[in-house]
Order: sequence, then structure tokens, then C-alpha cells
Amino acid sequence: MIIALAAFRVAAYIRSHRVYQAVLLALSMLAILHGSRAPRGEEASVLTDGAVLIIPILAWAARSLLDTEPDRQREMSAVAVGGRGRELAAGLVAAFATCAVFAGIGLAAALLLGVSGTPEPRLLTAALTVYALAALAGTALGALTSRAILPSPALSIMSLVLGFLLMLLLSASPLYWLTVPVVRWMRAANDGDLVARLPELGAVSLAWCLIALAFYVWRRLRG
Amino acid sequence: MRLGIYRYTTMRLSQVSFRYRRRDRFVIHDVDAHLAAGDVIELTGVNGAGKSTLLRLLAGLAAPTKGTITGRPGVVGFAPDRFPADQPFTVTAYLRHMSRVRGGARWEPWAERLAMEHLLAVPLGELSKGSAHKVGLVQALMAEPGLLIMDEPFAGLDAGTREALPSIAAEVAGRGGIVIVSDHQGGLRPLPRLRHWSVVDGHLKESTTAAPDQEDSPPVATVAVTLPAADLPHFLARMCDEGYRAREIEESR
Repeated sequence: MIIALAAFRVAAYIRSHRVYQAVLLALSMLAILHGSRAPRGEEASVLTDGAVLIIPILAWAARSLLDTEPDRQREMSAVAVGGRGRELAAGLVAAFATCAVFAGIGLAAALLLGVSGTPEPRLLTAALTVYALAALAGTALGALTSRAILPSPALSIMSLVLGFLLMLLLSASPLYWLTVPVVRWMRAANDGDLVARLPELGAVSLAWCLIALAFYVWRRLRG
Repeated sequence: MRLGIYRYTTMRLSQVSFRYRRRDRFVIHDVDAHLAAGDVIELTGVNGAGKSTLLRLLAGLAAPTKGTITGRPGVVGFAPDRFPADQPFTVTAYLRHMSRVRGGARWEPWAERLAMEHLLAVPLGELSKGSAHKVGLVQALMAEPGLLIMDEPFAGLDAGTREALPSIAAEVAGRGGIVIVSDHQGGLRPLPRLRHWSVVDGHLKESTTAAPDQEDSPPVATVAVTLPAADLPHFLARMCDEGYRAREIEESR
């Protein structure tokens, strides 16, 4: 039933044409980023930069998806699916699935258009992990700036942009462990250390994404 | 089979109070009530008295600030007072999705019963208020709910559906479900053993006088009369003078 409700929400997101906002943004960003192929040996940087730059677009997609459903329909869905917790879970599943598709498109574009050589399997696995973390970070940022948490559209959009900028600034500082350390992902990739540092950076990233999602769940269930 | 599931359903509200935020005043105060299988309850109260909040508490959409609600049936149907029609689906696509959410519940018989066949291909956004309201009723009824909650279900409905709703409520109650309806139009009054709740300033009161004992009363009929709007006050006064219950339902051009 949760999957059926998640599918309903994705269908509403697509049929409302809101999906085109994120599609156009993603295609524009990927066209600019991969307009010319990077030289051999730069595969890690190309893959990781793409994962970081797509996060705000993923957040926008997650926010749009969660905001597509009218509040009254959200109540009816919660009753139909057996409770507010399940309705909330279905929304997050739908948002993450959408972000995962966009992240997959970003990864495919980087592999097909951005790199000159074929990445070695270990790097490819690390890139997959980084894109999955980007999808999770986008879901969390989108959920925290959705209408259920921030009813004002202006405040919501500003929070989304500022949230991503704060993520960049903090992760460039020595306090990078206080956020999803996206700049550290890029530095590690640039230094050729992505595979070695991924366990540490991945754990910090995963922890902050889960904390953000837990806060979202708490706020929704409390309201 | 459903009868067996619902036969022993008793929902109980114990000292239930509710407020939206910590420093807000309480919207619902110390409500004690029980709802037994087969109950049909009419809920009334002035605007802002707390009816919709009470319905949300019963549906499980809000948790009591104080007190407990126990025994809520596993399958709940909720028809809001205004169906959210601004969704990018046709009636069929919407009901199919809701059916999947309900584990494959059959919505087609309800669409037929509420005379909606001609609306199935219509986008939700193009429905009239009454037609959209019917979609809300179908999604609430399709899963054979053990608790059916309808908020102002008679508003905007055509005469045929208005007449069908009391028997639908009686059927749900007859198979052991609980039906609670917020209604200012007295649409369920023909039902025997109707319980009447009223919410006054957040306090729930049950009255036994609102619903007449139908078994001892002669059968009644409801008729529709179309007349010039200017004649309405005189007509209503004359009907009341002659001892009939008369009220205005709608004005149209």
C-alpha cells in the first residue's frame, strides 16, 4: 500500500508537469558541465563534481513532488493507507525514487559525455555510492523545505538555496563534519583519494541525511 | 466475512482534549464517548465549535493532546467536506490509484450506485462541486470501512444521491461498521436509532431528542418544490404554520 501511494504521488508529479522544471534544470546543468570531455585521469573529479552540482536540482524535484499533493488529499491518503506515518513514508519513498532517477541520469551523462576513459570498477562503485548519497541529500533538503514544513513559498525556495550554500561553505571549512561534506567529496576526488576516504565521508554524509529526515518526520508527526 | 470482523468493534474516547499548539486554547475539551458497532451518529454544531477537529481525531489524523482514543477499526473511510479537485487525474485514474492504495478495493459498484458513469473520463478539475464530492464519497466507501466519517456529505449533492446516502450509511452500520456524519441538513434523520452528537465550544453533548423514534412515527416523505425566490419567505412561513418542517435547500437561476 505504501508503494501504491508512492506511485500515486509520482504519477501526480509527472501528470501535473511539475517534473519538467527539474528535467529542464538537470539537462541544462549537464549540458554545461559536460559540454567538453575532461582529459584522461580526471574521471573521479568529473563524476564527483556532477554528483555535488545536481543536489540542489534533486532537492527541487523532491520539494516539488512533496508539494504536488493538496493538503486535503494528503489527509485522505493518510486515512486510506492506514495512518500518517505510512503516508509520510510513501512521500519519502516517492521523493527518493524521483531523486534516484535524476541522479542516475546525472551519472549516465557523466559516464557517456564527461569522461574520456573508462573508470576502474572501484571508482565506479564509489561514484555510484556518491550519487546515491546525493539522491538522499536532495531528498532530505527537499523534504525540509517542502510546504508541510515551510508553508511560505518564498521562504521555502530561499531556504533550499541557502541550505545548499551552507552545505558548501561548511564542508569547505574544518567543520566539514557538521554537514554533508560535499566539498570534501570533490577534494578527495581531485586528490585521487575518493575510494580511500569514502567510508569516512560516506558515514558523515549518511548520518546527516538521516538526521535531517528524522527531523522532517518528527515535525510532520508533531503537526 | 466483514460482519465477523466488525461485530465487536467498540471505539472509545476517554477524556480526550485537543489543542493545535502548546499555548493555544483547547479546541476539544474532556470528551468521553463510545461508538459501538452499528452506530450511526449525526454530529452538529455551529461553525468553529470543533466538529472537524473531532472528526480528524476520530479518523486518526490528529492525536489527542490529552486522553486516549482506543478501538479504532482498521479500515477507515474519510470523505472531507470539500474534495480536493485540483489534481491531474481523470475520475477513473484517480479512483484506480486510490483502489491500489486500498489494496485493490472495488470502486466500480460505488461509482455506478452514485450515478457517476458519465463522469469517469472527466478530469477532476472540470467536475462540479457536487460531482467532485461524489468522488470523495466513492474513495471513502470503496474499502468497506469499519469506521466511515463523512463531513457535510449532503452539501451540493443531487437529489438522487441525497436519497441514497442514508441507506448507504445504514448498510455500513448494518454490517457492523460505525458511521459518523457531520451534517446540518438533517439528511440522516429518516434512519432509526440515529444518535445525535452536538459540539458546543469544544464540549461534546449527546442528545436523545433530536432523532424521533421512527418506529412509533408515521412514515414521512420529502418533496422538492420550485418557486420564485421572492415567494420563498411566504411559502416557508405558510408550510411552518401548517405544521410541516420546511427549509430552503438551494437557489438557482
